[in-house]
Parts: sequence; C-alpha cells; structure tokens
Amino acid sequence: MLRPSWRRGVVAAIAALLLTSAARADIVRPPKFDYKMTTLANGLQVVLLEDHSTPITHVAVWYHVGSKDEKPGRTGFAHLFEHLMFKGSKNIKPDQHPSWITSIGGEANAETDEDSTIYWETVPAQHLPLALWLEADRMASLDVSEDKFKTEREVVKEERRMRYENQPFGRLQEIIFDKAFTTHPYRHQTIGSMEDLEAASIGDVREFYRTYYVPNNATMVLVGDFDTGEAMNLVERYLGRVPRGRTVPRDIPREPQHTAESRFTVSESWPLPAVVVSYHITYDGHPDAYPLHILAKILSDGDSSRLYQALVYEQQVALAAFGEAKLIEHPNLFFAVAIVQPGNNPASVQQELLRQVDRVKTEGVTADELNRAKRQFARDYILGRESVRQKALHLGHAAVIHNDIKTADGEFDLFQNVSLADVQRVANTYFTPENRMLLTVMPQTGPSVGGNGR
Amino acid sequence: MSRLAKILGAGVALAAVLAVHAAAAQVWPSEGPPPPLAARRVKFPSYKIKTLANGLQVLFVPYHEQPSLSYRLLVRAGAVQEPGDKPGVASFVAAMLNQGTTSRSAKEIANTIDSAGGFLGVGSGNELTFVNGAVIKDQTDAALALVADVAQRPAFAEDEIALQRRQALSALQVGYDDPEYLAGAVFDRIIFGLHPYGRPNEGTPDSIARLTRGDLTAFHQRWFAPNNALLALVGDLTEDEAFVAAEKAFGSWARRDVPDFKLGDLPPAAKRVVIVDRPGSAQTEIRVGHLAIPRTHPDYIPFDMAVRILGGEGANRLFGVLRTDRGLTYGASADLHTFKVSGEVVAETDTRSAATGETLRLMVDEFARLQKEPVHPAELRGAQDFIAGNFPLSIESSSAIAEQVLSRLFYGQSLDEIETYLDRVGRVTTEDIQRVSRQLLKPDQLSIVLVGDAAAFVDQLRRLGFTDYDRIPIAQLDLDSPTLRSTAGGRVPPA
Repeated sequence: MLRPSWRRGVVAAIAALLLTSAARADIVRPPKFDYKMTTLANGLQVVLLEDHSTPITHVAVWYHVGSKDEKPGRTGFAHLFEHLMFKGSKNIKPDQHPSWITSIGGEANAETDEDSTIYWETVPAQHLPLALWLEADRMASLDVSEDKFKTEREVVKEERRMRYENQPFGRLQEIIFDKAFTTHPYRHQTIGSMEDLEAASIGDVREFYRTYYVPNNATMVLVGDFDTGEAMNLVERYLGRVPRGRTVPRDIPREPQHTAESRFTVSESWPLPAVVVSYHITYDGHPDAYPLHILAKILSDGDSSRLYQALVYEQQVALAAFGEAKLIEHPNLFFAVAIVQPGNNPASVQQELLRQVDRVKTEGVTADELNRAKRQFARDYILGRESVRQKALHLGHAAVIHNDIKTADGEFDLFQNVSLADVQRVANTYFTPENRMLLTVMPQTGPSVGGNGR
Repeated sequence: MSRLAKILGAGVALAAVLAVHAAAAQVWPSEGPPPPLAARRVKFPSYKIKTLANGLQVLFVPYHEQPSLSYRLLVRAGAVQEPGDKPGVASFVAAMLNQGTTSRSAKEIANTIDSAGGFLGVGSGNELTFVNGAVIKDQTDAALALVADVAQRPAFAEDEIALQRRQALSALQVGYDDPEYLAGAVFDRIIFGLHPYGRPNEGTPDSIARLTRGDLTAFHQRWFAPNNALLALVGDLTEDEAFVAAEKAFGSWARRDVPDFKLGDLPPAAKRVVIVDRPGSAQTEIRVGHLAIPRTHPDYIPFDMAVRILGGEGANRLFGVLRTDRGLTYGASADLHTFKVSGEVVAETDTRSAATGETLRLMVDEFARLQKEPVHPAELRGAQDFIAGNFPLSIESSSAIAEQVLSRLFYGQSLDEIETYLDRVGRVTTEDIQRVSRQLLKPDQLSIVLVGDAAAFVDQLRRLGFTDYDRIPIAQLDLDSPTLRSTAGGRVPPA
C-alpha cells in the first residue's frame, strides 16, 4: 500500500518534542529506547529493541528505495514492485506469505513512499523465526511470473483509481507536487501515472530487484518480546546467508534553485475550490527542519491553530484550512491548503491564506503558541510510541532516513532548543517570493473524467 | 586502458556479477518454514469497573506503555433517538459539544486542550454519542474537567450553530460527491428503509437546514445524563488515581430520568438494486448485502465466522476471487455490522467501470456458494486460527483494550464473554457454518448499490440479467425519501 498520511504526522512527531527550555520542566519525557544495533557481513543493518509489555514481536525490513529512485517513464514502479514481493520466491508460493502470517494470527503488510519501502509483520512472539525466514526468502530469491505481474499491475491501477481519481480532492497532492517541482522526482506521486504503470515490464522487475533489493540496501528492525541474543542468532541464521549485492546507485537529479514565484490555476471535478500556497524548504534532519515543524504546528495543529482560527472560525471562508511541512530525505515543500466555502472568492481566500503564512516573517509567533506547539509535539511523541510497530517506525526512520540511529531519541532535545527567533528566522529563510507557488484548483462544471497525472 | 580493454573489462565484470548471482541462486536452500519458539502465556489485561453515585459507569484499564491517559465518554443516544423528521440532530449535537459551554468559548476549549498537549474529539453513531481523546498524564484533571464540561453544559450559541450548519452543509456537499460515502448511506437506507437504523447519521442538506436550537437542546436534555453514559479511562495511572479523577470531574453531574426507548419493528427484506449515476467516475463503488441479526443473537459467533470466510481476515473469498485471481480491485471485504436490535451483512469493493458487471456477478455468486456448499475445513480453520493467534495483538494498544470491554458493557453482554470468546470461536464446526448460512444468509434477497458512471455499465448489468434496477442521477438523490429521489429540484444547498 501507499504509506498512509498519518505516518507523516508520526514522522513529524519523531522530530517532535520540545522546543524551548520553558517547556522542558513541564513535560513528561517518554522512556528512551534501549536498542542494540549491528551490521551483518552482507551489509544488512539490524536494530533490536526488547519490549516485553505484550507477547508479540514486530519485524520490519526497510529497503532504502522509494519513488524518488524511479526513472522517467517508470513512475509508480517502486510501489508496484512492493506488491510483487508477495508474489512468490523459492520456498514461498504466490500469496502464501500473508496466508502464513494470518494463520498464526499475525498481521503483515508493506508501504512505499518517496524514500523507502517497508515490509512488516507483527506476530505472536514465538513466531519470530517464521517472519525472519519469510523476509529472507524474498530478499534472496524473489520469483514472479509474468501472469502474476500483469494481474498485480491491474490491482495497482485500481488502487490509483480508488485513492486518487475517484474521490473529491484525491489528486490534490499530485497536482501540488507536479506544479511545484520541475526536476527532482518528488515531482511525481508514489502511485505513479497510469501510462507508466502500463509500460512497466517484467524485465524492469528483475532489474529493480537486482539493483535495490540487496541486504546492503536494507535495515531490519525488530521490536518486541524476545531475547536480544537469541533474536540476533536467528537474524544471522536466516538473513546472514543472503548474498551482498552491488553498490546501490544514488543518481537522483536535484531540484534547481527556484528564481521566481509561480502561479497556476487548474480545474478538477471537485465540489469546492481549493487554494494552495507552497514554499520550497529543506530536508529532514537539517537544523532548520525543527523550527519548520513547529511553525507548521502553530499554523495548523488543532482548532486553536492560526489557519483554523482565521479562515474557518473567524472569517468563515473555508470548510477546512491546514498546512504541513513535508520534511523528508531530500528538500521538499511547506504547503498550506484551504477548501473554499461556497460564496467566497477563491482569489481572496488564497490571499488570506498567504497573509497568514507570511505574517510569521514580520511578526514571529508568540511564546504561548510556541509552548502550545511543544505540548502538542510531546503528545504526538508519546502517543506515537505505544505499539511495537510505532516504535519500529521511529527507529527505522532514524537509521535509514537520518542515517543516524541516535536521532530516534536525540531529536527530543533538538526540539527543546528551538527558540522564537528560530521560528521567525526559518520563515524568513524559506517563505520568499522566489520559493513560492500559488495554486488554485477550481471545480469543473459538467461531467469529467478522473485525471491521470500530467 | 584501450577502448577494447574497457569493453572487455566491463564484460568480465558483468560476467562475474552474473556468476555471483547464479551461485547465490544455486545455494539458496529449498526448505520449509522453521518451527516456532516456546509459546508465551497471554492474559487479557486487568481492568476495573465502578459506578459513581450518579449512575455513571466508569471503566479503568491500567496501561503503562507511555506517560499518557486516553479517555472516552459514551452517551447512550445517537441517530436512532432523533425525532423521525430530523435526521442529523445527534451528529449536530455532537459537533456543538466542543463549540462553547456556559463557561468557556469555543476558542477557549480549543486552546485548553491544545495547550494541555491533548486532543478532544466528538461524534455520534446510530446508538451513541462520544467525546474522546488523550492527553499527557500530567494534565489528567484539566482534560477530564473539559470533557465533563462539554458533555454537561454545551451552550448551543446561535452564532456557533450558524457556523456549524454551514460547515455541515459544505461537508455534505463534499460527501455527496464521494462515492464511498454515498454507497454506504444509500445501502443503509435500502436495507433498513425508513427505520431509524437507515437514517444518514450526518443528516441531509434539507434536514440540516431546518434544525433549530430547540431541536438540539431538547435532544441534549433528554439523553445526556450520567446514568445514561459510560466513561472509560485507559492509561498510566493507579486505580485510585483514576477513580478519584473520574469522581472529581464527573461526580457533580446530576442524575436524571431518561425516557424508555424502544425501537420499532424492522422492515421486511428489501431486495433493491439502486444505481447512483455519477458520470465521469473512474470506478464503480459496489455494496451487496442484506438485513441480518443483532449483536445478541445466539448464532452471532458462527454467523460472524461465515461472513469472515466470505470476506474477513484469515479467509476472505472475495479478496481471492476479485483481487488475487483477477486484479479487479484493490480491496474487497464482507462484514457483519450488528446493532442492538438488528444488523446487516455488507460486502464491498470498487472496480473500474468496465469491470462492474463481472465484479458484481462474482460477488453475488460468492453469497450463493457460501450457502450452497459446505466450507472447506481449512478455510474455517484459517479464520479460527487468525482469531486465536491474533489475541495477543488485540490487547496491545490502549484503545483496543478499552474497545473490547466497552462494547460488551454497551450492548449489555456479560464481561465473561471476553474470556470465553476464543473458546466459542474454536468450537464452531463446518456444520455450524452450513446451518447458519442456510438460516441467516439470504443470497436471493440481496440488495445492491452501485455508485458510478451508469452509462458505462448498465449494458453489462442487463446482460447479467439485472433488469430491475433504479437509476438515480446524483443530482436527484434524496436520502430522506423512500424512493431516494427528490421531488423538488437539486440537492445542493444554497450557498
């Protein structure tokens, strides 16, 4: 499946906790992760965290490949490939992987986003060997038939129709990123375009597998009710024998510096207009990322946030108004969206949205707002670490995307040090006219056909 | 290096890589899955229930994973308790709860909960209204005081009503363009007819436009009482701390007489086929099913197992037939939804317009096959093994634990059911499945909803023999009308 959007909240929350010292004494800090990390001879990184609160274990394998690694004409391939990982390997028949897992009461799935692909199982603790064996078999010996490939390609096309083309506002993100980027593959959505999905071949599958699905491009995270020594022996036994692959290419085109504001108006078969303001920002892990996260919270988290208060509650010009600092592996976007209430002029709602966002440059934010955002981060941080799967997501993200496992806990403190001045500074750094895009999506009148990428 | 040498060199390197891969493929062993480790003991977490002097039932589940507390207050009133001509009252009341109380403005409520590091949600369903959320545990008292205030003393200020009315109407405008929302709402209407279970919980553009402040306050005064509510607290507190906090926040809520409420009889099975025509749709959203049993029916467990074989985790024939074998959809499932006095079986999927007929035929066939043929023992075992094995996963999160206790309390079932559930699931036989499928499954009374581009698939339906269908243009859809068609003009509310 495509990585659901709640995960962005979780990732934001990773970063989360705490900004200035004022809140430090206030907030209950969640327990630190007591993990072990090692790398096998074949290059597989392994992170283990014992958690005996419930007799279950979560196994996640992160492959450091996502839709930003796709080549032109093959958009959507990383995600399509994810589906194929359930279609059989040397010792596992097609679709047998999930049925084995459900037969022991476990749950299994996979998610793809721009930067990574995660395969996971949560199982009753005694079934850890089965989960490891299943992951090892498909890492070493995937074997997909042409028939299975073609059927699954149809499934993914239905997924695209369902999530993007057949629901109101389903293509909003697709339009924003397509317009905001010119060069970097973040321009396209992980689902890809129908034409590219149709053009994908079984030859592409084999090449992609050889290139990216190698232990030296993977990180395994185990969280649950196991003994670390025993689990490590099992990982070594099942995953240690997978041969190392070639060095993974990282030839991803960079987005050039934008030099002028861009404006677009398009139409879609949606019931209400949507207006967007976006700015190019930095990447996850950059020192500016932390104040940007806080700024996004002040603008958008909860009914007390600035965008809700101004556009939905006070002026009553928007059905919904929200913003997000999408901080991922490569530089990405801050974007704010308002769904326009009937009877209002989209252009003036967009101006108001812009005014609310840009106001931070001159006025900054208040100490109360900063403290509130800190508490909200603390909440997300704490509530986002209840389950073994959530814990594994934080560890995996730190190890793979930050390439620094210590950030799984350490970002807590980075946030504590963010100041009012930092928030205003990043607004001035990134919210410049050259970095800006203004987009308006008007409802189309009359019947229309669902869009299909660009 | 000469050009030739380069080419040769590259060739040699490539050959070496291929050799490595070939060797790897050869050495990768043929083998079966490994045996499990020793099994752990699993017990449902301890919990405690107390009833305050005012009749409020309080459930506490200790949960020490993180320094947090989650809370949920359930009031035993929802859409079915609304006056018949005012669908949407319950959900409108819910939406107003956090929009101002007699002592706090909407803005103060938002600021209080956000600054505490918590969240507060409100909503309603067929039979209940809820206030829920979670907070960092050092703000337990502040959060519970807020929950108690919004439940007891919503102000229902006229200007806030006006704003929420606009929001609700715009949300409905978006909903009426959302095939998933439409398919569910139309399906419930044709299964339950004009019985309260068939009401659209969100109301309709017409009913929302007509609601008055009096409708809202009357509903609130009638049903919101501590003796008509349940409170669940799950989190990092001691039992004493939890009950003291509950008493402090809710103890002063005055007990009140709540009217007896009895639902009317269910309509006879409907067997209608409705197409909501939405030109330009990329997919057809499909619902197939019929009226079924309430939660307390003696055959609930075997019938639920039968429906799981049709479309639930651990078995799911629909997923196999539609997705795995044919690539017709991304998702397919069947569920048994049960309420206090009735329920419904609903199978759902979505598919490209061109495959609508084929997909619908396959779904209808699976209903018939489940009734006609005994299920394979391996299928039943698959569904049973999933439920049994999944037990330790089902008690991991604080919300999942609370849910299992609350649903039994709410439906008035014995709490022993939590302990005996797995045994009763394990005792179901293929004969039981066959018996309940014959008695309770109705393949010849299926109602069908298709939301999509009718012009693209009606010919497919005719070829399959579905000639008796009602095709309703999306602009004429009226969920309040028995015919589902509006007699007046369009449905879109005035801006």
